[in-house]
Amino acid sequence: MEQLFDLALLNTALRVLTPILLAALGGALCARVGLFNVGLEGFMLLGAFSAIAGNYFFGNVLLAILFAILVVLVFSFMFAYLSINLKANVIVVGIAMNALAAGLTTFSLRALFDVKGAFYDKEMVGLPKWNIPVLEDIPVVGPILSGHTPLVYLAFLIAGVMWYYFYRTKSGFRFLASGENPLAASSLGLRVQRYQYGAVLASGVLCALAGAQLSLGQLTMFTEGMTDGRGFIALVATMLGQSGPLGVTASSLLFGFMEAISIRFQGLALPTHFTQMLPYIVTIAAMFFFKDKSFLKDAQKQGSSSR
Amino acid sequence: MNKWMKMLSPLVQPAAAVLVGLLVGAVAIVIAGGEVLETYKEMWNGAFGGFYFLTNTLSRATPIILVGLGAAFAFRAGFFNLGAPGQMIFGALAASLVGLYMPGPGWLVSIAALLAGVIAGGLWSVMAGYFDARFAVNLLISTLLLNYIADLLAGYLVAYPLKDTSGSAAMAQSAMLDKSVWLPKLFSGMPLHIGFVFAVVLAVIIYVLLKRSVIGYEVRMLGGNPLFALYGGINRGTMMLGAMFFSGGLAGLGGAVEILGSQYRYIDGALTTADYAWTGIMAALLARSHPLGTLAAALFLAALQTGGQGVERNTEVPLEVGAIIQAALILFISARFTYDFLKRRKGSKSHGTAV
Amino acid sequence: MLLQMENITKMYGGFSANRSIDFSLQPGEVHAIVGENGAGKTTLMRILYGMEQPTSGTIRVDGREVTFDSPLDAIKQGIGMVHQHFMLFPSFSIAENIVIGSEPGKALRFDRRQAAEIVKGLCEKYGMKVDPEASVGSSAPGVQQRVEILKVLYQGAEVIILDEPTGVLTPLEVQDLLAAIKMLSKQGKSFILISHKLNEVLDVADRITVLRDGAVTGSVAKGETDAYQLSRMMVGRELKELNRTPAVPGDKVLELSGIGIKGSRSKAVLDDISLSVHSGEIVGIAGISGNGQSELLQVISGLMQPDQGVVSLGGKDVTGLSTRQIREQGLAHIPEDRYVWGANREATVLETGLMGHQRRMQSRGFMKGRDIREMVSRWVSKFSIKTGSLATSTQYLSGGNLQKLIVARELEQGTPFLIAAEPTRGVDIGAMETIHGELLKRRNEGTGILLVSSELSEVLKLSDRILVMYEGKIAGELRAEEATEEKLGLLMAGGSIQ
Repeated sequence: MEQLFDLALLNTALRVLTPILLAALGGALCARVGLFNVGLEGFMLLGAFSAIAGNYFFGNVLLAILFAILVVLVFSFMFAYLSINLKANVIVVGIAMNALAAGLTTFSLRALFDVKGAFYDKEMVGLPKWNIPVLEDIPVVGPILSGHTPLVYLAFLIAGVMWYYFYRTKSGFRFLASGENPLAASSLGLRVQRYQYGAVLASGVLCALAGAQLSLGQLTMFTEGMTDGRGFIALVATMLGQSGPLGVTASSLLFGFMEAISIRFQGLALPTHFTQMLPYIVTIAAMFFFKDKSFLKDAQKQGSSSR
Repeated sequence: MNKWMKMLSPLVQPAAAVLVGLLVGAVAIVIAGGEVLETYKEMWNGAFGGFYFLTNTLSRATPIILVGLGAAFAFRAGFFNLGAPGQMIFGALAASLVGLYMPGPGWLVSIAALLAGVIAGGLWSVMAGYFDARFAVNLLISTLLLNYIADLLAGYLVAYPLKDTSGSAAMAQSAMLDKSVWLPKLFSGMPLHIGFVFAVVLAVIIYVLLKRSVIGYEVRMLGGNPLFALYGGINRGTMMLGAMFFSGGLAGLGGAVEILGSQYRYIDGALTTADYAWTGIMAALLARSHPLGTLAAALFLAALQTGGQGVERNTEVPLEVGAIIQAALILFISARFTYDFLKRRKGSKSHGTAV
Repeated sequence: MLLQMENITKMYGGFSANRSIDFSLQPGEVHAIVGENGAGKTTLMRILYGMEQPTSGTIRVDGREVTFDSPLDAIKQGIGMVHQHFMLFPSFSIAENIVIGSEPGKALRFDRRQAAEIVKGLCEKYGMKVDPEASVGSSAPGVQQRVEILKVLYQGAEVIILDEPTGVLTPLEVQDLLAAIKMLSKQGKSFILISHKLNEVLDVADRITVLRDGAVTGSVAKGETDAYQLSRMMVGRELKELNRTPAVPGDKVLELSGIGIKGSRSKAVLDDISLSVHSGEIVGIAGISGNGQSELLQVISGLMQPDQGVVSLGGKDVTGLSTRQIREQGLAHIPEDRYVWGANREATVLETGLMGHQRRMQSRGFMKGRDIREMVSRWVSKFSIKTGSLATSTQYLSGGNLQKLIVARELEQGTPFLIAAEPTRGVDIGAMETIHGELLKRRNEGTGILLVSSELSEVLKLSDRILVMYEGKIAGELRAEEATEEKLGLLMAGGSIQ
């Protein structure tokens, strides 16, 4: 068992937790303004696909990421318009977004590249790996922290920026206030809808980055449904982390580590079915420790129906 | 005149939604380099162009209707059961196992296999309900994640212990069921089997149950305002377990019917790639959880899929154009334009304690 | 002339909430607006505060015509509002709640230390004490009210609208508030006070405007009027007198002994509550809302399990039973919030009315449609509930009509014991008279009633015995004859009477 837990495992963990962390931060933004964003999964899938498509057409990684952000922004705008302006049930919109993303990516795979299942082109260049000078030479820490894609570092940076925004700036203060008591916020003249839009659009950008890390971070390819429930795992990370940037980062670390272990186990004689199951099982198990009592609260707030 | 308008008004929004869906589909077709009218003609032909195609569509609709009814029932009770894919897999798996290994006359094995499907799907579903009722584990997310686990577990079973070793095929699948346990076809030579009749009858039964029975009333009240239901003496925990079992059982039945009536063996991934379960959930959402509406929506969505196959056979446009139309429909329906407009206008009239 | 509203009309569809209302306010003046629920007071203030736009009419500040598209515009013109339901952020500190909207700090940064300093300064200037660092959620209602007023002052308000400000205050806190209003008005601030408590209005207001059915029925100066005249102007007719005969209590129908519920912090939510209700009497529970009344009712009706103690109903121990079992044992319950507990907005009037009766009105698991329709239509005519039809969606009923439906539903359970929680909150006087009459009739027929109300006048009017709840305890018990507002007020504030 000993060779299972080495430094490379932690290195892998950082790489695979990045999409979850990015999406979970997006989920946290939405949760803070009262929107339960089930559509993270779909946003991420769209991001992964459009990053590959952008990469193929522009031949430039940066443009590819910008393209992915643009595409996901369009869809997150739709999400925001439906759930905020038209007051559609946010869960239904999220489910529909996921379905739309699944259908659209598969369709485009056929329509644009004329392939089924997966798209790969050896001309495409993935995200660069940054070897951080000085850092990479430090023993133990170096091999873990160095040699990642810029998105990995960006994810942690964003978590930090989000913390600063929430707890140190005027705008962040108002953002949190709008989420805590929208009625009171609008009675003060705060534009609650604007913060909600901001949250959804930002979650779109974050999911686009998450998707880009998935499709460009390691293998530079897109496969159908390649997000494999990571958006849902990210939702759990959001809940576990109580929608705070630090808590979300901590719970994403846990799930990333589990995924890394699951990847590592694949080298063993075990059937891969079980190793692949691991992240989902751990995620469900984690929910036992975070009691979700929101149903009563929500119901009290609006006497709402979930239909 | 007014009466007619009243009767027709619930149909306006679905009709508009279909129109919008087809428009979005048209855009996708153009992007894919297809001819819009011709593509839609092929779609129509693929779904309804001839008796064979019609029965093919109805046959495809069968598991979708069953799953959709299950989802609709859970939604009505206020439980977001999105675990139909996993529940269906377990139903299908249990039905194949009973079909393969239970001794006895074929008709008896058939019935037992269907029941096993209901129970397996129901139990898998009730597990998530229990987690929520007892440990407050968010049902929506647990059911979603359990889908992945169910798929992998069933995949493991047919890849190793239950793998069909008779043929040369290296595919992960169970052995073929004996012909005696297959569900009877409704028309010889056509794909449609008796499962379709079950689905339609169940839709009517659930409709009546929800509308007229005491349990149906309690389910609807619980879905509408859980605190009101608690206050009125309805036990949320018990209802949750019951509703989740019923809902998952219907999804399981959908899986069982698909195995016994169409596929005759459990093939790894066959149910998920065909997307029966999610289509069923979409049908329930489209119909706002109305059982008869779910039946109609399931038929429509099945026609989009078989139509899509026709499109793919005869044109350059891929079959996923159906999936795009479907998702656009849901997005449109979810917006509830007219409904909210009414609510806003009337709602502001009430004074008093409403905050 | 500081503020003028001229000819204000507000239509919702075909319904007019305000009809050509004229209203004016001088600097340093306290101007009260009184009227029944639904008379249009709140709508008028929402227009003045920019939350609604009038269908027609003009608003002038210092003679200039202004239009308010949002509260922000109103705030800029020096108009601030303290809402009936406090508009606060419970998890934030008091200082944060006061400065929100114009926070101190350089550029983007929010300087919380400076915010605390500012709040200290405000406290000194206006003579109101709060702790800037404390969290709002754990502060008493009286403190929260001060936070609201300080917030409005911080925003630079010259005109302060107070919407039913005393609903959640103890009588002592009310005195403090009225004193603060008088002091601030001396400093030149003007107040618009919306209230239905005439004695408070008569105490503090310089001028009183009465609204009825969306129109002004009179505007009088203080000293030219009295409570009797005002209430006639509000209702438009003489009030009915309740016919009370002395109670004839029978057997115990409800007995609580030693009920306790632990709170999240050290303070218990319910602390050793023992009480009993006999058949044929109304036991009133007075107290500021939030002192454990809701939890007590939830324990009795089975919606919440107590940590200690025993509930017995009709002589049988029902502790730990389900809500259904307790209802079957003989409990009916008019819930404190009709939309949260009492109804399903999306269900039909028929379905909302059926709740609790569904198990009785069945045959082989199916509902007896015709019997149910007959039952609910009987209630509709008996209580003159205004509804389009039984198939109308519940959300389209007005508050008063929905309340009458709920009262009818619960009275018709025919149980020996009834909980009536805030039975007339937010309903018009007609509905209130009906409901009070029915409750008394029930009591005369031998039902034991536990009445919980934050409205002292209601408790005094209906109860045969009165218990006062304060911080989860029973602070005292009084017989109806000896109870007065003063005594109850003392107990409600945690004092004692000897």
